[in-house]
Amino acid sequence: MTTGYTRDDTKRLFAVLRQTNDPEIRDALAKLHLPLVEYLAKRFKDRGEPLDDLIQVGSVGLLKAIDRFDLGREVEFSTYATPTIVGELKRYFRDKGWAVRVPRRLQELSLRLNKIIAQLTQELGRSPLIPEIAKAAGVSEEEVLEALESGQAYSTTSLDAPSSDDDDAPNRGDRLGEEDFRLDNLEYFASLAPLIEQLPERERTILYLRFFRGMTQSRIAEQVGISQMHVSRLLNRILEFLRQGMEGEAQY
Amino acid sequence: MATETVTVRVPAKAGHVALLRTAVGGYAARDRFTLEQVDDLRMAVEEAAVQLLRHARGERIELDMSGTDSGLEIRVHADVVGEEPVIDQTSFSWSILRALADDVQVEMRQRHATIVLLKHRLPEQDEGADGAGG
Repeated sequence: MTTGYTRDDTKRLFAVLRQTNDPEIRDALAKLHLPLVEYLAKRFKDRGEPLDDLIQVGSVGLLKAIDRFDLGREVEFSTYATPTIVGELKRYFRDKGWAVRVPRRLQELSLRLNKIIAQLTQELGRSPLIPEIAKAAGVSEEEVLEALESGQAYSTTSLDAPSSDDDDAPNRGDRLGEEDFRLDNLEYFASLAPLIEQLPERERTILYLRFFRGMTQSRIAEQVGISQMHVSRLLNRILEFLRQGMEGEAQY
Repeated sequence: MATETVTVRVPAKAGHVALLRTAVGGYAARDRFTLEQVDDLRMAVEEAAVQLLRHARGERIELDMSGTDSGLEIRVHADVVGEEPVIDQTSFSWSILRALADDVQVEMRQRHATIVLLKHRLPEQDEGADGAGG
């Protein structure tokens, strides 16, 4: 992909962003520098992770860089952002150290199932049965289960990043709207409150909708603008985080 | 429906909870549970096991799974310290289990705690135009 950005555009956008804090400008800056993320992510592509995932991880670094960049600096934004993006990618691999190593075959199947599940859910008007998924994917039920379990394992560290199926999802911040999770709903659980406070807003919302509003994963997925599988991963990771937090050692 | 019970027994250590989780997932996937229900069950069994582990005094934790007419009955149980219910109904854990299962009960009997979870399967008529599979 050829880059469509110029330094002047970047400077101009940053000037507006700092004045207005407009999320659309932030998005525009992110889009403008996506080629940089792609370029840097490719440097890590031989380590067995899907390139899409790496680009997502790198995008998190890019957003951090956008938020921190000081226009008064003499450096170009791309120069400033590069170590932040690379740092995010390195951290991703470092964090993965403990995670189960998932064979590429399963990673790919997991990504494919994501799409199939979304399709089936739409067609059936409900969450599909495992045999239905297996049939649609042309694999055995065993493989479906295996891929779903592995999907869990391999995304346990990458959930800050949007998942690959979210590319065309509307801006998440816009979708949460009135269902925004309010901490006082959970203040009752005094020991958990400090932990829940550490969760990103989206995760808090998901936690609230699933466990306190009894909403299904599919409905939450619709509401938040991510896939059902992504909601599933987030829920599992949130619970894991809260459990570790109760034991005293947690970092989200 | 036959009510044969499948039991999985693991050492009462955190490292084995994942196996219980996988077991219930595998069991439910072969019954008529949707993907989301399977996921709910995995999360619920994990939560139940984690709570039992906090109070466990014995060496094992067991998972019993039985098909019923309407769904699946799951019993996660272990020997525990004390006679108090292992999950307080005002706890966050209780809220989680209530959201994940259709019914939740905690039974205490001579310092043996059982967390009972019921989950309804998808009704027959709701099944898609899927053949015998395979």
